Amino acid sequence: MKRSTSALIHDVRNPLNTISINAELGKLTLQKNGDITKAIQIFEAILAECRLCSKRITELKDSLQDDPAEVILKEERN
Amino acid sequence: MANILLVDDDTKFLNATTDLLQMLGHTVKGASSVEEAKTMAVASNYTHAILDLILPDGSGLHVLDALNAENHNLQVALVTGHASIKSFVMNLYGPNIKYLIKPIDLEQLNAFLASTSSNAAKQDSGIKKHFGHLVGESAVMQKLYEMIDRVATTQANVMLVGESGAGKEEVAASIHFASQARGAFVPINCGAFSTELINSELFGHEKGAFTGAINRKPGVFELAQDGTLFLDEITEMPIDLQPNLLRVLESRKVTRLGGTSALDVNCRVVSATNRPEHEIARDKKLREDLYFRLAVFPIHIPPLRMRKDDIPLLVDHFLTDLNLQYNAKIGIREEDLNRLCQYDWPGNVRELRHCLHRAYIMADQATGKIRLPERIQSPFSRLETTQNNGIHFGKTVEDVEKELIQTTLEHLDGDKKKAAEMLGISLKTLYNRLNSYTNTCAE
Repeated sequence: MKRSTSALIHDVRNPLNTISINAELGKLTLQKNGDITKAIQIFEAILAECRLCSKRITELKDSLQDDPAEVILKEERN
Repeated sequence: MANILLVDDDTKFLNATTDLLQMLGHTVKGASSVEEAKTMAVASNYTHAILDLILPDGSGLHVLDALNAENHNLQVALVTGHASIKSFVMNLYGPNIKYLIKPIDLEQLNAFLASTSSNAAKQDSGIKKHFGHLVGESAVMQKLYEMIDRVATTQANVMLVGESGAGKEEVAASIHFASQARGAFVPINCGAFSTELINSELFGHEKGAFTGAINRKPGVFELAQDGTLFLDEITEMPIDLQPNLLRVLESRKVTRLGGTSALDVNCRVVSATNRPEHEIARDKKLREDLYFRLAVFPIHIPPLRMRKDDIPLLVDHFLTDLNLQYNAKIGIREEDLNRLCQYDWPGNVRELRHCLHRAYIMADQATGKIRLPERIQSPFSRLETTQNNGIHFGKTVEDVEKELIQTTLEHLDGDKKKAAEMLGISLKTLYNRLNSYTNTCAE
């Protein structure tokens, strides 16, 4: 479980980084030359990275559900 | 504005950050692997480098080694996901490296790019580097700068002719710098390759093209795409391999060994040799057709003895560089500078730099001045002087006569009578000549 979490942190940090840089790029593009076509491409890139983050989190959630330790914990709670 | 090398294997981040920095008015070159970054590190004047720590073929720290060798005034930032990596790397590489913590925003980037090296500031206040590489203000160097300026605006191939140590690679890098090419500067030494490997180095190979070709390898023409390919010691390339090079230059297409399709070649080729042109032709070191392809625009690099006015400037430049490297303040005495200016430097700028480095290590710490050896002459330069009998373009008859007399005396252990006989002059004339040299020196 610990390994899954650290893998998630690594996998999510890179798309977050791309989102951050693209958000700055989008802001500057609109401020400097108002290029809507380019801004739309940048927003598409941000959305794609958001979907990637979401996918990684879902994958972790699924793997936690299959984690025997998690199953035992759940049983104990019940 | 900053001149930035950005290295990250995440191409989405690389492209967006390159766009962002260019919009801010900076010059950016992007690389996605250590190998690519190392190629870009050569002969460039980056002010800042942003390096990802983990790359597919190594680490950003490997790139750092290559960059540091080229530029001591570089500002470096490592991109890391976790602040804790800071202390680990700081232990290895010192406190001068900065960090950009993911997710990176404009504030972090601007703060890093606003930082300039205190060393860089000191360096800037000193000597002018023409095209970022060349030092010297003499008339012959001004002519050279004009030629570089002229040829940089064209696509012409350039052949550099100059003695060993005169700075051929620096001139080639200057041409690349002045031409503002999009691609990289790729230097290779044609004398360093074995006959078996030279084709693979020049043209690249496909996986499985021959035993040991475990991966596809791009050739130097591909690496220099949209940039400059520098073929040093071109006259050392075996004559039977020269037609292959000629074919690429003529067709502007290259096919990797074992490959089926030809790739377009678009780069300027700068070649260099330390052999004079008449010798290249006489000894058939280069095919005539290849010579004309390569030497569309030949440039002769002046030897140091033809620009002695530049010696004080070069000494100042090298000492500044050494002081930065060793974090010291070592200078030179006036009489030592005069000695350096009087010497002929057959090994050219390289010999001067070597001599200064040695004298710097031997520096008198009490006075803070470099200590020159009693005789400024390397065994190689002595050999060259003797072999050439001191005859080269730009020397006066008096200089040659003086050298001939001195060499003869050296060979005969100072026996003036024998020397006069050998030189075919009277003993009295020999004494008169020697006296006149002593008088000239005293003046």
